[in-house]
Amino acid sequence: MLASITETGTEYFGFTLHMRPGLRILLWTLITLLGALALGTIALHRGEQINALWLVAAAVCTYAIGYRFYSKFIAAKVLALDPQRATPAERLENGRDFVPTNKWVVFGHHFAAIAGPGPLVGPVLAAQFGYLPGTLWILVGAVFGGCVQDFVILLFSVRRDGKSLTEMAKDAIGRVGGFVAYASVISILVILLAVCALIVVNALKQSPWGAFTIAMTIPIALLMGVYLRQLRPGRVLETSVIGFVLVLIAIWGGQWASQTLAVAKYFTLTASGLAIAIIIYGFAASALPVWLLLAPRDYLSTFVKLGTIGLLAIGIVVMHPTLHMPPLTRFIDGTGPIFAGRIFPFAFITIACGAISGFHSLISSGTTPKLIRRETEIRLVGYGAMVCESMVAIMATVAACVLEPGTFFAINSPAGIVGQAADKAVNTISGWGFPVTAAGMQSLSQSVGEQTLFNRTGGAPAFAVGMAHIFSNSLGGQAVMALWYHFALMFEALFILTVLDAGTRVGRFMIQDALGHLWKPLGRTSWYPSILTTSAIIVAAWGYFLWQGVRDPLGGINSLWPLFGIANQLLAGVALCVATTIIIKMHRAKYALVTLAPLAWLVTVTFTASWHKIFDSDPRIGFLAQARQLATAGGNPRLIFNNRLDAVVTGILIALVSLLLIESVRQWIGLLSGRRVAQTAEAPFVATRLAQERV
Amino acid sequence: MKVIRLLHEILREIFEEAAYERFCVRNQVRRSKDSYFNFVSATAGAENKMRCC
Repeated sequence: MLASITETGTEYFGFTLHMRPGLRILLWTLITLLGALALGTIALHRGEQINALWLVAAAVCTYAIGYRFYSKFIAAKVLALDPQRATPAERLENGRDFVPTNKWVVFGHHFAAIAGPGPLVGPVLAAQFGYLPGTLWILVGAVFGGCVQDFVILLFSVRRDGKSLTEMAKDAIGRVGGFVAYASVISILVILLAVCALIVVNALKQSPWGAFTIAMTIPIALLMGVYLRQLRPGRVLETSVIGFVLVLIAIWGGQWASQTLAVAKYFTLTASGLAIAIIIYGFAASALPVWLLLAPRDYLSTFVKLGTIGLLAIGIVVMHPTLHMPPLTRFIDGTGPIFAGRIFPFAFITIACGAISGFHSLISSGTTPKLIRRETEIRLVGYGAMVCESMVAIMATVAACVLEPGTFFAINSPAGIVGQAADKAVNTISGWGFPVTAAGMQSLSQSVGEQTLFNRTGGAPAFAVGMAHIFSNSLGGQAVMALWYHFALMFEALFILTVLDAGTRVGRFMIQDALGHLWKPLGRTSWYPSILTTSAIIVAAWGYFLWQGVRDPLGGINSLWPLFGIANQLLAGVALCVATTIIIKMHRAKYALVTLAPLAWLVTVTFTASWHKIFDSDPRIGFLAQARQLATAGGNPRLIFNNRLDAVVTGILIALVSLLLIESVRQWIGLLSGRRVAQTAEAPFVATRLAQERV
Repeated sequence: MKVIRLLHEILREIFEEAAYERFCVRNQVRRSKDSYFNFVSATAGAENKMRCC
């Protein structure tokens, strides 16, 4: 569907098709009309339920037009992709890091690395505003922001021999840029890992079935590690299939475990108990040899991830469920139970991955640029893979919005807002205009094999219920609803724990890198005292925020997810600052709006959100107001301190990015006024042999 | 068939089987416990294992 015109025909998302110009115009007119109709339907329907396929149609058409026209414009005019220019994969080919690779292989590799739990969780949380705000932000944010960021950063990294974002920031904006990029990455890692762990805690607390299944993935991963290392070296696909079968058995075994009292008591864990277990796991995953736990777990998670995302897409199309959530809820006024705050700015920081995620810039300037065979393929990999991730976010929106709103809010609202007792919770939620009954929730809990579904904040359980609803209606019926629910929960938890152990390790490497400047042995990644020290530092950092979330009477997600959203969007701000500076240095200032516009939007959103999170007088929104309220009521000193700490962390992030912005604007003014000489750090042009062979 | 072959190639790259094969060719070693251990150690850097949120 997605296309660009080449000399030989029209390239449709990587495939070249020959089509008469008249037919092409007709096709794009139809796509545009269908997209407009679908967007009009989802935006203007009031008081009636709509089918999920309208969201899918709106998304597919928007992405198709965005890819066909906007990404082509960026490729041709802004970045001037050069098919004659050799990429570092070709020039520096070493068979290890730099390997010219088929564009579809790089596409798959890149997508597998960028697609994480973010596009599944953020849209579910944002569904408290209704399906409309999140859907529109996902579509507009991806086409004009996220896809553009991934695309331009990937190209700039390719033109700089695969340099990282931090290195490019240092080259383009100076040492301040490099320092801010480094500090932003570390901050976002710590907050991201804490949030990820909190989502798992909230999904698995008091759930012996879920806890058993996830606990079993650890010995399964270890077994896979030993199998790969000792029995079938390098046979990863085969090992992943075996691991997947074992995970399915573990899901089935989870039902037995939850029904066998002697076993269930060991897996019925409190939030605090689970948090401690995850902190210990994170430390072990960071310190253990990579082949033993991290690598096989990563393979298993990727295998499940790709399969389940495909299955969900098929399920939505086959089932084409009706959305029960209204387009807008009463919580657009900022009084939402899941997180407090109005649509602007909070919808835009709640959904980061799926619309625009700064974290992607790290992948786009990591391994991917070293695999790109031709510059012209960057459009498919950079822009195209983000389109696919954005589609995953749309599917998550559908999964959340197929639930009855009363059920959705009963699952996602913290006890601190709706009350601990079922009767009180259903009264509160029904009082909001979203009818739900205690008996209905009890029946739903039983059908998914849980003791209760009340107060399961974090988004994962609501997504799992929605996904189980879609799957069970297309395969197996209500009888297997519990299996599908736990499959969905396992899929998310596995996904999240993989981010947790990979992220902890990445954080450890970054700290080792920094400490190595102070004392060389600390920088040695194979020296065990250094491994243990730096692992402890990074785990203690995210573990502290996790503990804070677990002890928070409002469920933790209320304060930590916005903090994560702000950090992630600020990192995107850093990436777009770097990209804008490079575009101006390329003497293409007239096109700088391509990155400047999303940058301006992100700065507006994140700075406004940060202001609210620090200074808002509503204690549910402002950290300082909540600290004051707790202090007045003689509340727990630890909670008071945590709120003040969150305010300080938000303030530091904003200060860092402000510093980078000021430095960037100084650069831009200097360059545009001619006071500064534009020096790009691009590798010298070398003609490609690959392109010559082709042309 | 072409699509299936491509899909297989994508999976082999994602799951690092292709990278291991290249490692064996580059270092002129055969598939073995030791060569796989060396391969995993060589690719254990932060960059290779970066996973997004």
